[in-house]
Amino acid sequence: MKFCSRCMYPSMAATPLTFDDKGVCSGCRVAGQKKVIDWKGRFQMLKKLTDEYRAKNNYDILIPVSGGKDSYYQAHIASKELGLKVLLVTYHGNNYLPEGEYNLARMRELFDCDHIVVKPGVDVLIKMNRIGFKLQGDMNWHNHCGIFTVPIQEAVRHKVPLMMWGEHGFMDMGGMYSYSDFVEFTAKTRLEHGLRGYDWHDFTDEGLEKLGRSELKEGLRPKDLLWAQYPPDEEIASVGVRGIYLSNYLDWDGTKNAELVTKLYGWRAAQQPFERTYRSFSNLDDMHENGIHDYLKFVKFGYGRASDHASKDIRAGVMTREKGIEMVRKYDHVKPRRDLERWLKYVNMTEEEFDAICDTFRDPRAWRIEGGQWVKDDIWGGSSAYGPVHLKCPQRAKFMREENYGRTKK
Amino acid sequence: MLKKRLIPVLLLQNGMLVRSEAFSIHQIIGNPIIEVQRFNQWNVDELIYLDISRSDDYDLRREDGKVRGLKDPLVILEEVSKTCFMPLTWGGRIRTIDDMRQRFLRGADKITINTAAVETPELITQAAKIFGSQAVVVCIDAKRYEGGSPEVFIDGGRTATGMSPEGWAKKAEGFGAGEILLQSIDRDGMGNGYDLGMIRSVSEAVSIPVIALGGIGAYGQYADGIKAGASAAAAANIWHFKELSDMGGKRALSKSGVNIRM
Repeated sequence: MKFCSRCMYPSMAATPLTFDDKGVCSGCRVAGQKKVIDWKGRFQMLKKLTDEYRAKNNYDILIPVSGGKDSYYQAHIASKELGLKVLLVTYHGNNYLPEGEYNLARMRELFDCDHIVVKPGVDVLIKMNRIGFKLQGDMNWHNHCGIFTVPIQEAVRHKVPLMMWGEHGFMDMGGMYSYSDFVEFTAKTRLEHGLRGYDWHDFTDEGLEKLGRSELKEGLRPKDLLWAQYPPDEEIASVGVRGIYLSNYLDWDGTKNAELVTKLYGWRAAQQPFERTYRSFSNLDDMHENGIHDYLKFVKFGYGRASDHASKDIRAGVMTREKGIEMVRKYDHVKPRRDLERWLKYVNMTEEEFDAICDTFRDPRAWRIEGGQWVKDDIWGGSSAYGPVHLKCPQRAKFMREENYGRTKK
Repeated sequence: MLKKRLIPVLLLQNGMLVRSEAFSIHQIIGNPIIEVQRFNQWNVDELIYLDISRSDDYDLRREDGKVRGLKDPLVILEEVSKTCFMPLTWGGRIRTIDDMRQRFLRGADKITINTAAVETPELITQAAKIFGSQAVVVCIDAKRYEGGSPEVFIDGGRTATGMSPEGWAKKAEGFGAGEILLQSIDRDGMGNGYDLGMIRSVSEAVSIPVIALGGIGAYGQYADGIKAGASAAAAANIWHFKELSDMGGKRALSKSGVNIRM
């Protein structure tokens, strides 16, 4: 395992990275571009672009929001700085923190806008949690799907061609594109990076059968997942829907966004600390996002949200790498008790079952088995054991050191 | 009159698709299959797939997605062919007739060679005899130094050959190449438009079709390449930036008066 020499990203990351000859990752390299961009000029470009979409008798812009710090910032820019008539659209996955609910509810008081909140039936969501977890080690798949589908559905339905997202996650974390690309939202980004290639139909009985995973069927039908169905190209083309990222036009900084909207609008961070990260102002729209969902990232790839947050803070120059490593040591491996217990109850599953399924998603690029324990390389050097193995014998083979993953010896 | 073509180029590096700048900076933008699915839905004219890997490690980096277990370029080609119903040109790391055969067997409609063509031009003739000229595309990578004239490079832009692109293109045509894929190294990923002078001189030197590649940063620039003499306008990075990029490119071409299949 290799780690970026500037931030802390591992070579085996959920966001695919490349490294330069100095061992600096593509995420750091692209973040470095932000220092030389003419942001005043970029803001003028944004003004010009949004002006072209001002409507006589419709919304000027649609903003997908969760109610988080970045949502407030997007709404602030669109409504207050640009003077646009805003339509807010939210996917509600049923797991908001109370602070998140409070922030979300206040948006229509603060930003002179209408707000559509789509809340799928809870029974369907619970089933989606279970299938997502067992099929791809991500119980929050429904969340990614809802967030990347509902706003486009509403844009088509209300004929609002311009959508404004916040930051491009994979570009920000992994350096997927450059700032000169002015990358926009695409169905491909949704399917491949948001949803890992799976779509809503894979969760229906028929879809699971096609995947050869009949044992995961929960009785879901296409009409249970209407909120998850991406509009066809023709509909998108006829309205001319496009989704720009605000991070291409403004010097985006999550920490500064949080400070600004707290000061201007009384936006609230989480009152109770998270179990797996030191930040309290991220992911209030879903309590499991920093909990079980993120623990599964550690299970798969051997790193977690503390690595993400600290890497962002290191790139922004507000944290040293040493301090970042301290955060990783403290948080990355934590099994979130409070969050896990809530979730197991929510989906009616035992912890034994949970642990056994988790282990089927360990990636041999990150993990090996030594003495019945899961072992991985650490950013501070050497390697450590991170708990007992729950896999059955034949499944263990690919994690044993001798025949470890990577180059096959010929 | 034959319609002009608009062609996406996908760059495969060690198992993942990448965005490229000046042949030296590469950023991972996704797995080798899902983008092809989109091109197929759009009914794209044609697809060029170039394997620019410099080592034998092909890895998807994760196995929790729907696309899994692709660790071999030929298996990747097989998967691409299953997904892709448009004409497919495959290039990169092809050295022998057998390499070509392996790729045709797995669904490539044309192959493109670059370094091997310069090192062994007879390979072009041999390939044209066996597979037909129309299936043999010679890829030319050329670099233009400030104010100078372009020079042909091989080995992924690392080795100079001393040849001019138009001189080499003419020779390649003589050896039996059916098409020239003309790529500018210095304009790769810059977004400032094609090297029009180079496209003009190569198009004038040969009577086979020339595909222009390298430098597109806006759809409006495609037409310049066609007007400079290219039969097809190709690009890599820009296809990944915006939704419905095929339609966007074709609309711009059509608006500029280029005869294109919409």
